[in-house]
Amino acid sequence: MAYTTFNRQINDQMKEPMFFGNPVNVSRYDQQKYGIFEKLIEKQLSFFWRPEEVDVSKDRIDYQNLPEHEKHIFISNLKYQTLLDSVQGRSPNVAFLPIVSLPELETWIETWAFSETIHSRSYTHIVRNISAEPHKVFDDIMLNERILERADDVTRYYDALIDGINLYQRCGEGTHTINGQSHSISLYELKRRLYLCVMSVNVLEAIRFYVSFACSFAFAERELMEGNAKIIRLIARDEALHLTGTQHMLNIMAAGDDDPDMAKIAKECEEEAYAIFRKAAEQEKDWAEYLFKDGSMIGLNKDILCQYVEYITNSRMQAIGMKAIFSTTQNPIPWINTWLVSDNVQVAPQEAEISSYLVGQIDNEVDGGDFGDFDL
Amino acid sequence: MLSITIHGGVTINVDGNQRCILDTLEQHKLQVNYHCREGYCGACRCKLLSGNISYTNEPLAFVRAGEFLPCCSVSLSDIIIEIP
Repeated sequence: MAYTTFNRQINDQMKEPMFFGNPVNVSRYDQQKYGIFEKLIEKQLSFFWRPEEVDVSKDRIDYQNLPEHEKHIFISNLKYQTLLDSVQGRSPNVAFLPIVSLPELETWIETWAFSETIHSRSYTHIVRNISAEPHKVFDDIMLNERILERADDVTRYYDALIDGINLYQRCGEGTHTINGQSHSISLYELKRRLYLCVMSVNVLEAIRFYVSFACSFAFAERELMEGNAKIIRLIARDEALHLTGTQHMLNIMAAGDDDPDMAKIAKECEEEAYAIFRKAAEQEKDWAEYLFKDGSMIGLNKDILCQYVEYITNSRMQAIGMKAIFSTTQNPIPWINTWLVSDNVQVAPQEAEISSYLVGQIDNEVDGGDFGDFDL
Repeated sequence: MLSITIHGGVTINVDGNQRCILDTLEQHKLQVNYHCREGYCGACRCKLLSGNISYTNEPLAFVRAGEFLPCCSVSLSDIIIEIP
């Protein structure tokens, strides 16, 4: 029950559930219950990038020439994204690693959280460049009411899960008196907290980032803040992969083959899951209103952004088998998709800045057919 | 020539010059949501009502029964699909 970093019990990893089985002992990938997580790890590693690789020096001039209300839009989004990635850079590790039971999933969680730390570092890279006083930007995050309001909903489910795990791993199931206060925990309740936590993370990756993404790309459509947009593109590519990761977890849980309790919990929590989606969409719409309080930007205003929030909320819900809750069926800003394309599809890496171009990647396979049209 | 029928809508022909079903749909000016275009985000999910498709690379996104990703697949027969 207590967490151990090297579980001495000999177990069959193929029979463990994703969470709350035996702690992982040997990090082995020769046998995998869910091979998808290793594929996600490989994909994430092929995406590796560093903020310093992206030149943001032109953004400084662009930023200085922006009207005040557009400066507000730009910098507020950066602050909010900084908060989101601060949470995502640490919480999956703290919450999920003590309870995970499959090596491939354990490594996926670590890989996932690591890539979020790159995002955090990239915000500092951007802010350092556009502002002579970066500390003012970061200091404001902890004082900005609009950001703190939403921080509560982003972190609540993580904190409830982490708190429950601490109690369970120290004292086990039951009611315990600690420092004169009574606390109860059951494994079933912990699983419920886990399900809601993964659901809330799914919503975070699926919806919360996208209002900021839309604004960054709207600036870049006008050839402004393009260095920033390049970085946001790389972040969006990572987030799409993380989202796929949480969607797989949720779908495996709901199917029940992995852990029958989780399927039961998924049904019991259905209403709460809808509420999490609805609240996130409402909060993002409020955020759009705050962003545009002093004026819109070319190509984007509050109404369009709100429609986009509704549109992606619907599509994310359908991806995990839920019903759409908004009537919007059309993407009001179809141009955003071209910014979200993974650039792997380009054919000549040396002619373009391709973020996934791996140095030293050589195709060594040659067969007779390759010399078919050779004449000597 | 294989055809793609949009449920309750038009039927289009697959001319074989497109990389995937998504490209064919776009060639005929049909709007499908997309992001990554290589099977890991799942944004282009459509329903496959009849016919067979084959993946040019196996999608990483979760695809439930009855759905498919047009961005990394080609059709093997006439197909009827539903675009959400």
